[in-house]
Amino acid sequence: MAEPSKPDKPNELPGVVSAVTLLRRYWPYARRHKRWLLAGVSAIPLVAAMTTIRPLLVKQAVDEAIPAADGGEIQRLALLFLAAVVVEYVAMAFQVYTLQRAGHASIYDLRTAIFRHVLCLPARFFDKNPLGSLLSRSTSDVEALGETLSFGVFTILSDVVMITAILTSMFVLSWQLTLLSLSVAPLLFILVRWFSTTLRGLQLEIRRAQGVQSGYLTEQLSGIGVVQLYGREAHARASYEALGQRYLRATKLANIFDALLYSMMDGISAFCVALLLYFGAPALLGVGPFGGLSDGLTLGLLFAFVGYLQRVFVPIREFSGKLATVQRAAASLERIFGLLDTPREDRATLDAPTKLDDDPLARWHGALRVRDLRFSYNYEAQAPEVLKGLSFDVAAGEVIAVVGRTGSGKTSLGRILTQMYAGYRGSVELILDDGSALELRELEPDLVRRRLLMVQQDVFLFDDRVDFNISLGEPCLQDDHGALLAALDTVQATPFVRERGGLGAEVGERGGNFSVGEAQLLAFARVAARSPTMLILDEATASVDSMTEQRVQAAIERLLEGRSVLVIAHRLSTVRHADKILVLADGEIAEMGNHDELIELDGLYADLYRSGFSEE
Amino acid sequence: MAQTPDHSSGVVATLERVARFLYRYAGRYWVSYLFGFAALFATNWAVVRIPTLVGEVLNALESSGVGTEAFSQRAAEAALEPASALVLELMFWASSLIIVRTLSRVLFFNPGRDIQYRLGVDLFAHLLTLQRPFYGRRKIGELVSIAANDTQSVRLLVGFAGLQVCNVAVAIPMHLYQMLRTDWVLTLYCVAPVVLGAIYMRYTVQRFYTLIRSSLEQLASLSDRILESFSGVATIRSHVAEDAAVERFELQNRDYLDLQLELASVRAFSMPVLAFSGYIGTGLVLWIGGNRVLADQLEVGSLATFTALLISLVSILTSLAWVLTAISRGTVSLSRIDELFDVDPELPEVTREAGLGAPPRLELRDLSFTHEGRDEPALREISATVEPGHTLGIFGRTGSGKTTLIELLARVYTPPPGAVFVDGDDARGFALDALRAAIAVVPQTPFLFSTTLRDNIRLRGERTGHTATAADAEIAGPRLFGISLSPKRRATSPEVAPDGDDPRLREVIDSACLTPDIAALPAGLDTVVGERGVMLSGGQRQRTALARALYRAPELLLLDDVLSAVDQATEAKLVAAIRGLSTGSERPPTTVIVSHRTSVLEHADEILVLHEGEVVERGTHAELIAAGGEYAAAHQHQREEADADG
Repeated sequence: MAEPSKPDKPNELPGVVSAVTLLRRYWPYARRHKRWLLAGVSAIPLVAAMTTIRPLLVKQAVDEAIPAADGGEIQRLALLFLAAVVVEYVAMAFQVYTLQRAGHASIYDLRTAIFRHVLCLPARFFDKNPLGSLLSRSTSDVEALGETLSFGVFTILSDVVMITAILTSMFVLSWQLTLLSLSVAPLLFILVRWFSTTLRGLQLEIRRAQGVQSGYLTEQLSGIGVVQLYGREAHARASYEALGQRYLRATKLANIFDALLYSMMDGISAFCVALLLYFGAPALLGVGPFGGLSDGLTLGLLFAFVGYLQRVFVPIREFSGKLATVQRAAASLERIFGLLDTPREDRATLDAPTKLDDDPLARWHGALRVRDLRFSYNYEAQAPEVLKGLSFDVAAGEVIAVVGRTGSGKTSLGRILTQMYAGYRGSVELILDDGSALELRELEPDLVRRRLLMVQQDVFLFDDRVDFNISLGEPCLQDDHGALLAALDTVQATPFVRERGGLGAEVGERGGNFSVGEAQLLAFARVAARSPTMLILDEATASVDSMTEQRVQAAIERLLEGRSVLVIAHRLSTVRHADKILVLADGEIAEMGNHDELIELDGLYADLYRSGFSEE
Repeated sequence: MAQTPDHSSGVVATLERVARFLYRYAGRYWVSYLFGFAALFATNWAVVRIPTLVGEVLNALESSGVGTEAFSQRAAEAALEPASALVLELMFWASSLIIVRTLSRVLFFNPGRDIQYRLGVDLFAHLLTLQRPFYGRRKIGELVSIAANDTQSVRLLVGFAGLQVCNVAVAIPMHLYQMLRTDWVLTLYCVAPVVLGAIYMRYTVQRFYTLIRSSLEQLASLSDRILESFSGVATIRSHVAEDAAVERFELQNRDYLDLQLELASVRAFSMPVLAFSGYIGTGLVLWIGGNRVLADQLEVGSLATFTALLISLVSILTSLAWVLTAISRGTVSLSRIDELFDVDPELPEVTREAGLGAPPRLELRDLSFTHEGRDEPALREISATVEPGHTLGIFGRTGSGKTTLIELLARVYTPPPGAVFVDGDDARGFALDALRAAIAVVPQTPFLFSTTLRDNIRLRGERTGHTATAADAEIAGPRLFGISLSPKRRATSPEVAPDGDDPRLREVIDSACLTPDIAALPAGLDTVVGERGVMLSGGQRQRTALARALYRAPELLLLDDVLSAVDQATEAKLVAAIRGLSTGSERPPTTVIVSHRTSVLEHADEILVLHEGEVVERGTHAELIAAGGEYAAAHQHQREEADADG
């Protein structure tokens, strides 16, 4: 998926280090819940202590108290044992709960952060990334991370402590034997590192494959109608299988490496013991390459070392097992941060809410000055310019109609003015009432969009109530039923909304409970409720019957009143009402003037007029 | 294990479901499982053998008398020989352990991956057979969540959990037997707390099962909320509604977190109860057993054996708790998946396998239809006949039933028996794929896939957007021994046409008036259009969908108001293109065309005017104009609109 900020550098292998880096980046999310985290970690030593004491008590009872026939001692030990069990249960439950709580809570924050970030990503991003794969990143990747974080990762700490403790006691006993038995350590280190790197790559591939697969699934199910009507089922199935194969292959390989890593640790531990015996035994007898050691070496020491070695490998094995889990989490994090690193648009409301109190656009009444406006959807890829130097003015309260054939750049103009697409060249200035001007690209998009509203062709209704669909959660509208009803009135939507149960009526999935025309009117009610300074209206071309058409037309006329309007026009009546008409051809202004002047001119406009506009 | 009483179905049903699933999916991997068991056996053998060997080496050294006075150099060297042989054997077992342990894990867990894959593919294949009423009931985001997350938990059933269940099922009775033989009184003492723990566990597992179910459901609705919000992102941003959208999302996210925390508390506080009841038993054994030894009712050695057995039993109980959670999750997911598999496509019996070889004769006889869950019928007693190659026009307002009629003809909904006839056979009896192969439908809201424009028209799957656009496709897979681990992807689907010049494609693009639009696109026909075709305008999308239909050269063409977003000049050209279309048999297709524009319907052989599901007027364009009804009024209005000022 487009992770533009994270190009894969083939010669820089991802490894343990970058896993640490990724986890460090995760820390801000975990930090907010560090009290739970600390509580959980602090319980680890208590659990460890109890786990160690328990077998000692049993040993004490069986080896000493019972042979000594000391009834009181047995009772004391048994009670101590039961006490240790209770303490361990409480401490362990506490530890598990607090760590899981910290994990889940931080993941909750992360999930919100991803959602919020995606909502602020530029339109270009959505043009390139299928929704399904975004969905997969916000759910499956986060879920995979959650499973890792809430189980076991923190106990890696106790493994490390354990390993260090055992190694230290070994060194104290005999540093020569320690070095001898740990001569495989470098090999161990290389193996662990190599396996981590490989597993990490595989995990990343697994996450990607899953993302692609569920992205495909999402799209096919969204378009199930077309898939079925055009008999594409077999093809869809085959493609899904192929994508599944990719996932399958990666998971199976990961499985093999997982198993290999664990088994190697097991095998190597036995090997180390063998090594110790192979060289240690002759040394004990004063022969062989380590014969010189025999002075300090006793059979008891060798016994002890064998025991130590077997014990030190238990946490090492655990540790390497958890390493695979960490790599899984790191792969998820890499994808998640890849998404979070995609630059998003600025949002005054989210980033600097104080700015809203001192909004310079409060003094803007809809005047606009556009000079030499040029735009390409992708300058970097040398895509052709869709706008090639437009210059025009909009006075406050003026209605401007933009007409032109398909591909003339009409829609792009609206997208630039509302900053849906950034990166225009030339200048677009918002003229304030004192005559000063603000350059569009220097303003936060949402600040502009509060005053400059664009209504798209496609009406999107959320599976919620009518009131939410009009207010869209806007705090000052949300609970103001009067304003919402007034907005419905303005666009003459009151009768049918009342029929369905008023503001509380559910609109259904994608507005399924309302017809296309009604949905259109609800979208207009959103505009009426907001009363923007300037409106950009991409006149709907949705299919509505003439009765609804008349209502839509009437609603549009009301919306045009009292504000600057740029209307990407499809309807003759709208064009005729305009104060000024811009006729676009191939990204340039071919003609400009009012209806009568342009008809007089008998050029492109007159042509379009005769063919009935409408297109696009 | 699966003693997980479900609210809807009992334990038996759950077990039955698991058994059926295992039989169907896991059965074929018996060879792998068999070898897995063999490898597991070998692993355990090696695990036991290694400490024994270490012991023997040490014993050999000890017997040589190292460090004692009897120690002599010769005896020592004599002792070294068997010792080093033993060490070599130890090395052998150490290396074998690496191999057999790896094999046992791979052979056990990889079939689980295969099963997950096959289950996923089968689920998708099944979803593809389900028809509209189903997709009205279930949300896409939820279905995707089931396919992505629930198949994952099912895998654990056949991998890890399955292995552990086998272990536990063998180990527990064996331990109990040994304990009973050693001292039955003591056994009763230590089993008592374990039984109490097990009873408590029963309720815990039940609670866990319910919680897991709700949390998976919540995850699904969270997914759907995300999908909905991302789909509506343009609306959200142009109305500066990001905050509200996040708030709405948080509601779901919060509910999900609450469920997760509840699950966490069950896991932390209730799940370990079983294992700890075993420890309590151990404490009792120390106490009671110690006293029994003192009273000479028990030998010290037996007490040691008993304690060792009990400790080993407790470790099994600990893993049992984990296995129980994995199994609960797996069975919940399995039942959720089964619910989908149980949905019947609700297709009537096939009585006619053959499709259409020529433009068919269509006949509607008193067709009435009511949508699921609605009281008012959408269509009432519609009758009409369309001769082969003729055109039926449908005119009416929004909500008059036009779309429903098209959907019944396309068999998106199954028509009632005896109402729709195609070439004299009831449309219900047709094999769906054969019928649809001869039909082209253009729905009111065009759907474009995120792939190239070319592929969107031809629908041959040359390039699916997900492999073509995504950077995911060019995998930075790890390289091992110089071999890239990235799978060789099937670059193309099996039915790819040679990528050459397609005259038919150019022809339909021209007919659909798309030529100038395509010229304006950055990569022409190879431009990848976004999700739902967001890069294209509404009119362009409609015409792309029309081109898609024309490309098929169908025998029956169903157009649902597809010319609403085009100007009059284009409309005229498109109408001409549709009328001039010829099928494989060189005759014009039978056409049903829905529109609210009279200019589109002018040439129809008959026009039905629908009002609230009923035919209120019928006749040719000229007849309807003459009749002066709703159609004539609309015609008049549209003419005025077009001619205004003209």
